Amino acid sequence: MILTALIYKDIKQLLRDPKTLVMVLLMPVIVLVMFVAGYGGPGGNIPIAVANLDGGTISWRLISELKRASAMGLGSFEVVKTAYTFEEAYDSVRKGEVYAAIIIPKGFTEEVFLGKETQVGIILDASYADISERVYRVLVLTMQGFQQKVTEKYGGFTFNIYRVTIYGPEVSKIDAFLGVVMSVLLHLVPMSLIAVSISRERERRTFEQLIMTPISSYDIIMGKLLAYMIVTMADTFLTLGLAVYVFKVRVVGSFLDLMVISFLILICSLSMGLLISVLSKNQLQAYQMAIFAFIPSMLFSGFIMPAELLSPKVKIISKLLPLYYFLKAFRNIQIRGWTLYDNIFDALMLIGETIVFLLTAIKLLKLRVE
Amino acid sequence: MSLEYAVETVNLTKVFGNFKAVDNLNLKIRKGEIFGLLGPNGAGKTTTIRMILGLIKPTKGVVRVFGIQVEKERRKVLKMTGYMPQRFSLYEDLTVEENLMLYALLYGYNRREARERVKELLEELFLEEFKDRLAGNLSGGMKQRLALAVALVHKPKLVIVDEPTAGVDPPLRRYFWKYFKDLNKRGVTIIVTTHYMDEAENCDRLALIFRGRKIAEGTPLEIKRLAFGGDIIEILLEAPSPPKLEGIEGVKKILESERYNGTVSIKVLVDDASSRLISIVKRLESNGVKVVRGSQVYVGLEDAFIKLIGEQAQ
Ligand SMILES: Nc1ncnc2c1ncn2[C@@H]1O[C@H](COP(=O)(O)OP(=O)(O)OP(=O)(O)O)[C@@H](O)[C@H]1O
Ligand SMILES: [Mg+2]
Repeated sequence: MILTALIYKDIKQLLRDPKTLVMVLLMPVIVLVMFVAGYGGPGGNIPIAVANLDGGTISWRLISELKRASAMGLGSFEVVKTAYTFEEAYDSVRKGEVYAAIIIPKGFTEEVFLGKETQVGIILDASYADISERVYRVLVLTMQGFQQKVTEKYGGFTFNIYRVTIYGPEVSKIDAFLGVVMSVLLHLVPMSLIAVSISRERERRTFEQLIMTPISSYDIIMGKLLAYMIVTMADTFLTLGLAVYVFKVRVVGSFLDLMVISFLILICSLSMGLLISVLSKNQLQAYQMAIFAFIPSMLFSGFIMPAELLSPKVKIISKLLPLYYFLKAFRNIQIRGWTLYDNIFDALMLIGETIVFLLTAIKLLKLRVE
Repeated sequence: MSLEYAVETVNLTKVFGNFKAVDNLNLKIRKGEIFGLLGPNGAGKTTTIRMILGLIKPTKGVVRVFGIQVEKERRKVLKMTGYMPQRFSLYEDLTVEENLMLYALLYGYNRREARERVKELLEELFLEEFKDRLAGNLSGGMKQRLALAVALVHKPKLVIVDEPTAGVDPPLRRYFWKYFKDLNKRGVTIIVTTHYMDEAENCDRLALIFRGRKIAEGTPLEIKRLAFGGDIIEILLEAPSPPKLEGIEGVKKILESERYNGTVSIKVLVDDASSRLISIVKRLESNGVKVVRGSQVYVGLEDAFIKLIGEQAQ
């Protein structure tokens, strides 16, 4: 009863504060739109590379044919890079500049004219199993169409497609932002939002009356956590929904798994914010502490640069940060198509940190006004 | 430990940094009385109240409320105590009714009981018509009424109100005091601080606090006697010169005497005006002095207060 009364009160207060509403409900939309605007339109062309080792007339015709091919609801291919060697093509897939590279072998034009068997290669980024499969199928279809046309004019030839699969980097530019957006919206925003919650009660002196009732610090902490969770949960659904269904950001793994891991970081961020709130004396201090707490997360959790590239000393810090586990799990699910079960360690770490934050906050919250 | 006291403080001390806000304060507030804490700004009244309620930790000393030690069993104490802080401390972004409902629920009422209790209080404190207004939009007097309602929501046996009538208009001030008296008649112990001396006269007993120390304690009458060393009477006589009063029983001191056109006006300090006035007049008349008028000089609590503080400040 006491807990529900507190939750109800905090939700009401949150919803009556226009600043909160803007921060919670408008922020996902604004941030997403900004990222989409900045990082190119989603649902656009699939960037591929072509290594034309032949250079003859027929090879150029094949390339223009490829450009025309539609990638089944994914837009068309866009040759963003022309490679001159197999290695160069291989590299651009590995670096994530393109999803795939098509290799037209030396002597291609000649082999077609002579009606010989020719070997066309494709290098696929297995990080995007889903996309790779489609790209491969489109290539096969395009080649078959191309074969027909060529046969009508110059007589028959046969072809073989060999595929090379490699793992590219975690993300490519267009889809990279989802993890970052989610980090801001599910870590920084809820953390700073709730960080001022208790200091605000102190500053407005409402704390003095509140602690005259027979409530415990458990009631206060859990009441705030649940109230803010209910309100900010909208963020999780809204942002992920917008990203995937409106902006068509690729999600290879299961959407539900993404939701679960996002929910875990949300709770963890709120708990961390509550701890900050308990430790700070006033609202300004709370904001500063929240931002200060976000700096290591920004630097060392894989937010800007993959955490794997950090020095071993700094990696120890990474492993303390909830955002590190979140980003790792989130990207694994989104990009590599792993399941939540594959990321169970990260999920458990998030839960563990949440519990530690909450228990510490409950322990440290003194029901006093000094 | 005594059960006749609602509040007992023993050597209560609070030090902020190196400043002693409350200094070895011993108070014994009896069950069922209206007890006033008086003292100039910064005397330490609010700090004392906060320590009584366990809102701040005493540097030294013990507080017992109805015999229960606050530091050890604060929750037990809270259920019996209502508190109206000096400054408005309710949620300004919740309405009057929402604030009351919240507190009713936090004190453990179920929804139905809470609604009933809130309705009762809204009526008693004339808040019915403002119940849907945000607390932040209330006028000063309305805020005080709401704060009082919240302090009383769980029907506490002890109510502590810190300057409840600050910024309140005279009719409402009067109503507040009538309300306190009614509560008190129903057995509620009330501790009140105020800067209005006319209000302080309504208290059963007072403690005067100055620089964190108790400098006087007692009924308003006792405090006044303490300040001046007794009661003051004024006698107007027809005589060419002041008669000799020294040595008459009960006379402590001649404070002043003025000659004016064959009459003399004398102010005399006596131990008890009600019994001594008649005996002194009779004594003078039996000595052949013509007494025109004799009366007790009314001393306000304010004068006593200023005198006592003035003495301490030196
Ligand atoms: N948290 C605190 N930190 C430092 N000093 C404090 C604190 N709280 C109170 N004081 C100081 O203690 C002294 C007593 O303050 P207190 O509020 O108890 O006075 P008061 O008698 O209630 O005064 P008023 O009539 O103005 O309300 C003041 O000098 C005040 O500045
Ligand atoms: Mg005060």
